[in-house]
Amino acid sequence: MADKNGFFDLSKTTLSRRTALKGMAAGAGLALAPGFVRYSQAQSSAPIKIGFQLHRTGIGAAYGRWYDRTSAAAVKAINDAGGINGRKVELVIEDDGTDPARGAEVVNKFATQHKTDIVFGTLFSHVVIGSAPAAGENKIPYFVVSEGHHVASTKLNRYVFQPGITDVKSQIQSMAPWIAANAGKKVTQIFPDFAFGYDHRDYLPPALKAQGADVIAQIAIPPTESSFTKYFPQIPAETEVIYHVMVGPAVLTFVKELGEFYGSQRPQLFGFMDSLEAVDINSPGLEFLDGSHFWEGSPRYAQPDDSAAQKAYRAAVGIDDNGAAAGDPKDVSTASHMFGCWETLYVVKKAMEDAGYKGSEDRAKLVEATEALKEFAEGPEHPQGPKTFNGKIHQCFGIQNISKVEGGKLKVVHKTKIEDGLYEPEGDYTKQAL
Amino acid sequence: MAAVAALALLPTPAFAHASDRGHVLLLPTGYYIAGGALAVAISFLVLALLPPAALDRFWRRRLSLLAFGDGMRTIISLTSFAGFALLIAAGLFGSRDPLSNPLPLAIWTLLWAGFTLLQGVLGDLWSLLNPWYGPWRVAVHVFGLRGDGTQPSRLPKWLGVWPAVILFSAFAWFELIDPAPDDPSRLALAAGAYWLASFVAMLFFGYGDWSRRGEFLTVFFSMVARFAPFERREGRLSLCWPGAKLLAAEPLPVSGMAFLLLTLSSVSFDGLSKTFVWLGLFGVNPLEFPGRSALIGIGSFGLVLTFVLLAAVFLLAVLLGQRLAGSECPFRQAAGLLVWSIVPIALAYHVAHYLTVLLVGGQYALVALSDPFGLGWNLFGTADSMVEAGVVAGAESAWWLWNLQAGVIIAGHVLAVLVAHGLAWRLHPRPSRATLSQLPLTLLMIAYTIFGLWLLATPTAG
Repeated sequence: MADKNGFFDLSKTTLSRRTALKGMAAGAGLALAPGFVRYSQAQSSAPIKIGFQLHRTGIGAAYGRWYDRTSAAAVKAINDAGGINGRKVELVIEDDGTDPARGAEVVNKFATQHKTDIVFGTLFSHVVIGSAPAAGENKIPYFVVSEGHHVASTKLNRYVFQPGITDVKSQIQSMAPWIAANAGKKVTQIFPDFAFGYDHRDYLPPALKAQGADVIAQIAIPPTESSFTKYFPQIPAETEVIYHVMVGPAVLTFVKELGEFYGSQRPQLFGFMDSLEAVDINSPGLEFLDGSHFWEGSPRYAQPDDSAAQKAYRAAVGIDDNGAAAGDPKDVSTASHMFGCWETLYVVKKAMEDAGYKGSEDRAKLVEATEALKEFAEGPEHPQGPKTFNGKIHQCFGIQNISKVEGGKLKVVHKTKIEDGLYEPEGDYTKQAL
Repeated sequence: MAAVAALALLPTPAFAHASDRGHVLLLPTGYYIAGGALAVAISFLVLALLPPAALDRFWRRRLSLLAFGDGMRTIISLTSFAGFALLIAAGLFGSRDPLSNPLPLAIWTLLWAGFTLLQGVLGDLWSLLNPWYGPWRVAVHVFGLRGDGTQPSRLPKWLGVWPAVILFSAFAWFELIDPAPDDPSRLALAAGAYWLASFVAMLFFGYGDWSRRGEFLTVFFSMVARFAPFERREGRLSLCWPGAKLLAAEPLPVSGMAFLLLTLSSVSFDGLSKTFVWLGLFGVNPLEFPGRSALIGIGSFGLVLTFVLLAAVFLLAVLLGQRLAGSECPFRQAAGLLVWSIVPIALAYHVAHYLTVLLVGGQYALVALSDPFGLGWNLFGTADSMVEAGVVAGAESAWWLWNLQAGVIIAGHVLAVLVAHGLAWRLHPRPSRATLSQLPLTLLMIAYTIFGLWLLATPTAG
């Protein structure tokens, strides 16, 4: 931890993503120049190249913007503290267009053209699932920050890891004890009628059952719906908690119409921040959410009891106390997910150090070193909180936040325990050949 | 295989961002749509009551400003070419990130979204700035090639502007359908190859001929410049009313009509293709948008379909108008003249549609241009400028953006009615006949106003 002080100094310097990316383009240029001789991988001064598969364009662009900022900040922090195994880290960005086919192409490009050491990044599950086979075929470690259950399901391959963000199955399960104890025992779920909603439909009821509460109704809303009033009469009158996970542009309409339906007499509301990532909680139409609760991966708003590590992380990434870009208060961050980029890069650092990683010939060693990791302590490298890591399913498990909308802010009222989100592993990647 | 099958059944969480369109959904857009339709209808009625000769005289007024020669044209074009060559190099060797590399930002944001607007406001800047004229002049001089207008055209007359129509279609397909038009090296190859092919064509067919009939950007920009309130004639720059230059236009050949309608239909399809309604038609879940690669077939179909529909409806409106007025003027001539009234609409769609791209992408462009090769340079002192993506975020921005976009769309259609009215008077000197002939076209413009506002108000993916 000799670099700890150096790390905290970061918060005082302005972030420049260009610094993090510096040198990368030159490499790309040189690689195309005739007669260019590549750095020998054994040469210790050559930077470690991390292929950053980024949602730069397409439906995930708002997430991409913040994944980029967070990752650039983490790389700067790592480099300022001496890099990995004494080598600088370089991010090579390729846009996946939030497109699974393009995602696979980009992974191939990283492996064969840019010759990066690993691939890192992307969020959207369909892109991860579309890209994972390419990572397996190229035998290149692929560290995702997706939050989907697909990695932990062990249906991808041995090269895919999710060590920086808890998967959605665990997130949902860990909400159940608090909901049953504090919000109510009779829960009605409202969710969009596709895969994202099905996770909540399938994982919540057994978790609630175990806590002595019940899902009494499940209302699936067609994804193209933009008016919701006609669905509300389906909510049973005895409902104590409405568990809502709507996503897409019609979320604000959904909340507004729910408010018009209930007026001041409403059941408890519990939602997932996925619905409102990058959206100001004080937007017109969202007034009805006042007093309701949300899952948050990492708190959007600065909390009175924030750790020094959390404060330093926020400053380094460049978000203000309201979770928006410092200097651009309308650019609201994707706080619940982007911390995973920061933490994943530090897991990569740890695993590369453990493996004595020197170059692509050590990729198998890197996979095994990552699988050997057990836990990550809360601190500058893991500002969201402590985590355990299950090397068999390549998935980490961390604490989750339950926040209340109060006075136009989100106030953390409960932090779950890691154990709340643990479940039986569904397979074992380590049995697959490398 | 088993693993793949299992994956297909696996829940796949996705996080459709509650985008800024969400704020627009809460605005009373229905009133705007009704108001816009009414405004277009009323402008038609008002025009019908005004004496056309006086209106025409009023509209043809010019205010002479200053002498404006062509002296610097070669130098400016050569500079522009040098800049273009640098951008291509940046596309090949600079950052792989489309928001850090200046090439995609220069082509899509500055040139396509931004420069079109400048051209519509300030007039034909493209004739000075295009990156072919200077190099062509140099080549003619150095190799002693034939200049323009010295020999009969090598391009057969029947070809019209069809080469430009085909090339513009390819451009629109690349922009709207190709999986990765922002990819710097992909774009560098496409743009570089297009420059070279056009240059060769200009050497062979002559600069004037090819840029008027084959080079689609020149064809597009000169059509857009017809709208601008500046006119350059015989070395003098004058001020005129917006759209006034359209009144003096010659009837377009069939290929020219196709080109103009295609510019409007393609930007319309860009909007349409992201709507829940369009995606729903093909069973595509907009909240789990499968990406551009999965929609190549549907997109290509849609691009053709919107063009065919727009062209059919436009021709039908002209035909009906001619019948109503009992006109003896050939149909082809009437349609070729009246199609000029599409220019203000196309420009309005373009501005409304690319406004947010321009506001955010423009900032990224300023940063990227300062460090085109990602080497840590700071050529213009903007390399470390903060990009404020929040400028288009939130309810407040959504409100003023919507008002601006709606205003532009409605103004564009009102001007189109005005232009069509003036052109109809050229076809039908009797005012009552001219008005009657405009009835179907006005209905089309009202419908297109509604469609244009709906595109900006309806839920969209991403």
